[in-house]
Amino acid sequence: MPTARSWTDPLADLWHLLRFRAQTVRRPRAAAVASVVLVVCTLAAMLVPPHVGALAKVGGPEQVVGYLPSMLSGFLVLSIVSAISGGGGRELLPRDQAAIHPITTTTEHLGALTLSPLNLAFLLQVWLLLGATSFVTGGDGWLVGQLLVLLWIAFGTALGQAVGWTVEIVRRGERGVAIVRTISIVGALGALGLHLSGRFVPVLEGGPARRLASFVDGTRADAWLAVPVLLVLTVIMVLVGVLPAGAALRRSPRDELKVESGIHPARPLPLSDAAMLLRMDRAAVWRSVPMRRGLIVLALGPGLVALVGAMSWGSVMVLPGLVISGGALLFGVNAWCLDGRGVLWRESLPVPPRTVFRARARVLAEWLIGASAITVTLASVRAGVPTLNQAISMLTLLLVVTVQVVSVCMLWSGRRPFSVNLRSARATPAPPLVMVGYSSRLAVTTTFTALIFSTASGGGWLWLSPVLAVPLLFWSLRTLRRAEQQWVAPAPRAVVVMTVAG
Amino acid sequence: MPPVIDVHDLHVRFGEVEAVAGIDLSAEAGQATALLGRNGAGKSTTMRVLAGVVPPTEGTVLVGGVDVARDAISVKRLVGYCPDVGGLVPLATPWEHLQLIARLRRIDDWETRSRDLLERFDLGDVSHRVTSGFSHGMSRRLSVVLAAFHQPDVLLLDEPFDGVDPIGVDATLDVVADARARGACVLVSTHLRDLAMQACTTAVVLRSGARVASMASGELEGEAGADAYRALLD
Repeated sequence: MPTARSWTDPLADLWHLLRFRAQTVRRPRAAAVASVVLVVCTLAAMLVPPHVGALAKVGGPEQVVGYLPSMLSGFLVLSIVSAISGGGGRELLPRDQAAIHPITTTTEHLGALTLSPLNLAFLLQVWLLLGATSFVTGGDGWLVGQLLVLLWIAFGTALGQAVGWTVEIVRRGERGVAIVRTISIVGALGALGLHLSGRFVPVLEGGPARRLASFVDGTRADAWLAVPVLLVLTVIMVLVGVLPAGAALRRSPRDELKVESGIHPARPLPLSDAAMLLRMDRAAVWRSVPMRRGLIVLALGPGLVALVGAMSWGSVMVLPGLVISGGALLFGVNAWCLDGRGVLWRESLPVPPRTVFRARARVLAEWLIGASAITVTLASVRAGVPTLNQAISMLTLLLVVTVQVVSVCMLWSGRRPFSVNLRSARATPAPPLVMVGYSSRLAVTTTFTALIFSTASGGGWLWLSPVLAVPLLFWSLRTLRRAEQQWVAPAPRAVVVMTVAG
Repeated sequence: MPPVIDVHDLHVRFGEVEAVAGIDLSAEAGQATALLGRNGAGKSTTMRVLAGVVPPTEGTVLVGGVDVARDAISVKRLVGYCPDVGGLVPLATPWEHLQLIARLRRIDDWETRSRDLLERFDLGDVSHRVTSGFSHGMSRRLSVVLAAFHQPDVLLLDEPFDGVDPIGVDATLDVVADARARGACVLVSTHLRDLAMQACTTAVVLRSGARVASMASGELEGEAGADAYRALLD
């Protein structure tokens, strides 16, 4: 059968693959509702701010316009970091499923670009940028402002993707992992140096972001001229990304191969069943490339931001919740997928399901607490010695948020399992749209909890945080118990096992 | 002597789908039974029920006299199960899989037998590498090792020969023969009729989730057996 190729084939393939993914969505109605919510939120971010400003008489647009350059640059930084840590971006189809199809690296690149907006951090930045621009421009220049910001978002995403693929070429080369780690450390130290010398914000505000902000703020009549320029730059950047994508995807992922070909020496037999289960579960997490990489980014990223920004303890309180909810997205929302197809064999072993559940929940909790402890430790360098109340509030918050997230993750893992192979650094434990839903719910819950404890840490009552923790812990432990009961029941457990085993 | 595996009117439903629709099955100690049938006939689901992984929706399933629906843990103690798909934890090594079995099944002095089995299945060199890098055939061979390791009273092998090289096939046939010799009940589900006949003494043919025939394996051997088998599948 002839399979002629033309330059439009990658676009046609992309369309077919997106349609295939849309058709295989397990709960189409929920997906449709989620899509509508995303569109409504975007429209609200674009249309509502000028009216809110007028009604609430908040600070004038001139106050917000000053932040626009750093916000525009911040989006660029986020896109680049996200693409680098994601090994080039999301997969349109899992690698083992895609292997039998003639999917070109160009289609892979376009697919990763198309799926990159399905990420809560990305969406929040987009809404913030659109909202701020809308507030600044008001009615005059609104359309051109929104158009320019949307094009900047597209350009930044394409640039981030191109950088992500380029880094992936290096990572997949000889000593690539060490080189990328060294570059990352140098980059982080460079950012710290810039901050300490007082040049971090000027650098962020300078360059193209400042120029673009001057077009966006609605004061220039020639702002329209920037639209075709940005459009052309975006198209060029999308096309530029094709080259590193091809080069990266033709190379073998060295870090994955290293794990698979490496020797893991035998250790003595543990003394209890629970200890053996814990060892197996910990190995599944710590030997996984995407999880290790995700943990490093999650733990160090916010910690470094806090370090550079010299956050106070009141602000640091928000970070553990974000790190813990982000860490849960690496595998916790589909916790049984750690066993892969081995879940069928594991389920045939004579061990009470309760023991299995508790081992998995404990490993997830350890993972989340470990990540947030690194963040808080880094943040504490500049935040100084906390007061007794702040220390109590932080420890209570860590406990509450961890139990909250572990309980809800174990519940979701039992209710909506997915068969996924987390071998690739580009894989996610659930489909992209589901991940957006999960991340939104986790972020809202943990941020709200953090605000409660942040407020409590500012007062003089040492007993307030522990007292506030009691009902929250009670509620979360109740959820955890429900999740455990769900797992212990043979029929629902069989459904999870069969689904995860594929 | 009552059969080791005794299944009456087994039904398994997943929502609207009835994977098993009233199977009756019995298997004796010291015998190997082949479970044959087309894709979707209900072989793997039946195996999963017998392994205590999937609960029966209706019917009675006794393994070694223990009701699977009432006491799945006790059934799991009696059974060694090689699942049809994967069956291995991706980021654990074969040695860690065997350690898990040794720990949960309270096996003392397990290391010598582990090494012996791994060598017999040509997996000695990779015993400390994670299984996600294994080929399909290697994974199948290790799954058989894991099922047979603790010398279970009931050995359930689901597609043990799929993609396995001749050395692995011989080792698997040896495992089945050893199990029978020590009085274990063996159930082998496979599409490879010739190997099934070589390994087993009796055969049960399933179609559309129900049993359609039960016979001595000799009746399905050779060309005449192949014709008889095809006739049962249509």
